[in-house]
Amino acid sequence: MRIKKFWKRIIILAVILALVPVIIIMLIRLVPQPPQEKVEDARIALSEAASNNADTYTKKLYREAKSFYDSAMIKWQEENKRFIYFRNYEEVVRLADLSARKARQAAKISRNSEVDLNIFLKQKIENLNNIVGQIDKIFTSYPLSAEVWNRISRGKMLLKESEVAYRKGQYAQSKVKVADSELLLTDSYEKAKTNLKEYFNSYPVWKNWVDRTIRESRQNQNYSIIIDKYSRKCLVYHGGTKKYEYHVELGKNWVGDKRVKGDKATPEGMYKIVKKFGSNKTKYHKALLINYPNETDREEFKKEIAKGTLPRSAKIGSLIEIHGDGGRGVDWTEGCIALTDSEMDVVYKIAMEGTPVTIVGSIVNIDQILD
Amino acid sequence: MKNKVLMGLAAIVMVAVLSSCGKKPQAEIDAANAAIEAAKTAEAAVYVPAEFAALQDSLNTVMADITAQESKLFKKFGPAKTKLASILTLANQVAANAGTKKEEVKAEVTTLLTGIKTVIEENGKLIPKLPRGKEGAAVIEQIKADVATVDAAVVEAQGLFDKGSFMDALNKINAAKEKADGLNAEVKEVLTKARIKF
Repeated sequence: MRIKKFWKRIIILAVILALVPVIIIMLIRLVPQPPQEKVEDARIALSEAASNNADTYTKKLYREAKSFYDSAMIKWQEENKRFIYFRNYEEVVRLADLSARKARQAAKISRNSEVDLNIFLKQKIENLNNIVGQIDKIFTSYPLSAEVWNRISRGKMLLKESEVAYRKGQYAQSKVKVADSELLLTDSYEKAKTNLKEYFNSYPVWKNWVDRTIRESRQNQNYSIIIDKYSRKCLVYHGGTKKYEYHVELGKNWVGDKRVKGDKATPEGMYKIVKKFGSNKTKYHKALLINYPNETDREEFKKEIAKGTLPRSAKIGSLIEIHGDGGRGVDWTEGCIALTDSEMDVVYKIAMEGTPVTIVGSIVNIDQILD
Repeated sequence: MKNKVLMGLAAIVMVAVLSSCGKKPQAEIDAANAAIEAAKTAEAAVYVPAEFAALQDSLNTVMADITAQESKLFKKFGPAKTKLASILTLANQVAANAGTKKEEVKAEVTTLLTGIKTVIEENGKLIPKLPRGKEGAAVIEQIKADVATVDAAVVEAQGLFDKGSFMDALNKINAAKEKADGLNAEVKEVLTKARIKF
């Protein structure tokens, strides 16, 4: 009887021992599976988006992705507080999926944006540097207003800042700077071009003077001098062929025709040499006086007085010369044309009283200059 | 009967022990969060952005691990504790790196500011020596405009520096220095051409 009881106990114990793991396994299997993989997937996607600077390029999308991730985590923690078998992770999975999808989208857009922005900025900076180059080439010696120069200067500075940011890979900052720079530079460049174009409205007249001067030089087989103010050139022709070309320095306010005494402008027109001054007669090495003002200049001056565009007390200028003492690299004369002493020696030697001197704004048209 | 009760109790104790063998490492989490906050205060996001992003990502990973463990019947926070300890060390390191980088940038800006002020001072002495004829001419207008722009940029950079925005100040002062140096070279070239000693 005792033995029977003993075996009965052993069997019960064995059954219990056998059932315990089964129950434990069943208990474990019945526990709802936490959404670890989904949340990890969303975290990786967010991390990738962050490394692609999504916070800069697709801020809204990235923030949404982050917000969904945070919500997923909060929801997960809330579910964890419930009794283990009553937990439901569906909402956590939904939020994590949403976060991952938005983060991937943000990463893709950011990657493309960064590549596109890199290309865009590279081109934009190059284009703006070309504009700066054009401004420096065309307008360095062209008197634009202080306001325009200020805008150009600020535009150049912003372009530099944009380049500094671009070199550091700070594309978003570079973009802002480049946009501000573009606004200032293109606007100033357009204004400057308009100003220059207005000056070049006289080009047909200048061309006519230059053509006549060269034609007459050919017909008379004599020397003629042409001064191109814009390109700062003194061209010496003989028999219609260019013999010499020198750099000149002009009056400080060289743009436009001379209107009045003391305006520091170099006149424009067809003149002749009326007197030669050797080195003992001038303080500028040697000098060739031209017949400014000629008849046309006097008429223009009278018209301006009559119209009231010049005061009645205004006086017409005089004593315009081609002289030496140049080569200073700046426009410094009172309206005369300055050559270096050695070049002046050559011009002085070939020039005679009566030698034509034609002074024009430019011998080439505006399109050639702007091209 | 007595044995049955004992066995039942043993089973309950076993389940209880297995299901609560780990507690959420709240103290470690708080310490890691505080260290990350300190790194943030040290402007790690500005001066060492990649390191800071990696640090935050590490914390996110550990927090997800901890939450996952909390979901389980048998919790195991040991690895998370180790990771949190690493994060704490890393956060302190990132904060220190940010501080070092910030000091480097600050020193660089200080050097540039001193350098640019010297160049501006020199330009201030050179510009009045420009040929008289340049007065009112196009070039002098450009130089004046450039001088004003550089001055404004230096004031702006100094303002950013005083506010502690060293990184922003660095970008601005770098551009201004390039401009001031260019201006200095331009003025010297004009003076050399005009045969004026400087």
